[in-house]
Amino acid sequence: MELTDWELVQQCQAGEMSAFQELVSRYQQKVYMVILGMLRNREDALEVAQETFFRAYRKISGFQGGSSFYTWIYRIAVNLAIDAQRRQKRNPLDFRETMDDLLESQDEAARDPFADLHDKELREKLVSAINDLTPEHKAVIVLRTIEGLSYKDIGEILGCSEGTVMSRLHYARKKLQDKLSAFL
Amino acid sequence: MKLLKKPPLRVLLFSLLALLAVAVTVTAQKQPQNVQVRIGSILASNQSDEFDARLKGLEKQLRVLKYRSYRLLKDESQSVPWQGNRVFEIPGGRSLMVAPQEFQDNRIGLKVRLTDGPKPLLDTTVRISNKGNFILGGPPHEGGVLVLSISAVTQ
Amino acid sequence: MNGCEDKIPSIERWLDGELSGAENDSLRSHVAVCAECSEAQRRLEKLQSTLKAALLSEAQRVDFAPFWRAVQLRVNEKRPWYQEALDSMRRALPAPRVAWVVPAVIVLLLAVVSLESYLPGWRGAGRNAFATVESIDAYGRNVALLREYDTKTTVIWLYQDQEGENEAAEETAPSGPAF
Repeated sequence: MELTDWELVQQCQAGEMSAFQELVSRYQQKVYMVILGMLRNREDALEVAQETFFRAYRKISGFQGGSSFYTWIYRIAVNLAIDAQRRQKRNPLDFRETMDDLLESQDEAARDPFADLHDKELREKLVSAINDLTPEHKAVIVLRTIEGLSYKDIGEILGCSEGTVMSRLHYARKKLQDKLSAFL
Repeated sequence: MKLLKKPPLRVLLFSLLALLAVAVTVTAQKQPQNVQVRIGSILASNQSDEFDARLKGLEKQLRVLKYRSYRLLKDESQSVPWQGNRVFEIPGGRSLMVAPQEFQDNRIGLKVRLTDGPKPLLDTTVRISNKGNFILGGPPHEGGVLVLSISAVTQ
Repeated sequence: MNGCEDKIPSIERWLDGELSGAENDSLRSHVAVCAECSEAQRRLEKLQSTLKAALLSEAQRVDFAPFWRAVQLRVNEKRPWYQEALDSMRRALPAPRVAWVVPAVIVLLLAVVSLESYLPGWRGAGRNAFATVESIDAYGRNVALLREYDTKTTVIWLYQDQEGENEAAEETAPSGPAF
């Protein structure tokens, strides 16, 4: 029978590295997606995702199960992504792959002559529009999109009220729709 | 939006700074530089019922002596270094030498010598509260007696 | 969009699964018959699905096999001694909110200590308010030591030379205080 997150955490606290590996395996992709949505750069996103789990390992002895493991790990991930964003602002992207490049290369690799050019352009514009949001708005949109997390869970991760989550989501979606009205 | 504000590290640094501040303050308190000694020379007598208004702060203490009249003759302050001494001239040709010895538990240890010219009248070692005083009296003067208020405060 | 713009936040909450049963049913019924709200729903769902598809497709292209190895390497890496010391101190500290009690207590101690230097008697005069006479030498003269408790006064009284030696002085001044 599959162990719950909390059971794995407890094993990890007892020194079982294999338990931590299982937790990493369960959440690595989702954590990466959240961070990628905030950073747009694959290398940075992978690095920050690794840092997230490294920090989680260091702090796991202090995790007492007050919140669920995934809200805890997402909290670490979002914080680190925000820090990374600040560093990115100080050192603008040079030749590293951006999400835009990744999206382009995806379509080229697919070589699907019937690929919907409209959708391709929408995705590129969407990713660019998200990047123009503030870190707070970016975080709510990405967390809601990827995990379908409730306002309560998102609020717990971001340290704000459900009302704030709701208003930030509304604002972010409005901004995105305004920029992408021609494509939606 | 800082979710994990790293309070433990900030708390650590702030605690260390606060501890340092406490250490500096306590150390400063334990080793005051000098002692400000103040000698009030008062003439106590029964020749009148006058009470010098300048002695208002000492009235309750002086009334203990049950004289009818009290007049301030001289009020002198000097800064005296620890383990050093200073001499105060007292009316009637007398002198008072004060030597602060130590400071412990917010109390100042003083060595005091009262002399009449070259003749020693009294040697005493007294421990008073910081900003506190004691009374030394008795030598006759101008139809009354000389009363000295000896106070000290650390600087 | 004119009449139903104020319904957009509700539509968002409905799509996010945040509406209660009754609100849910009510809005669903409205959207089914309202072209504007229906269009708003479509756009929001398109936005959501496009972003999710973009992020998911990218994430699925990443080979996560080396991911765990990279994390493991970092976990097993020997850290500088000062990092380990900082981490141990961090672990020793209580939860962040409670941790602020530590410097708060220190600042309070600092205030008490500082107060003592400005108001040494602020805790109230006790036994220690009395001056303590540790030694006394009157060179053969009579000396009296008085402690008056109400005023916390210590008096050292030096009597005049032996009686009879100074009769003139005795006529004008009492030999000592009347305590």
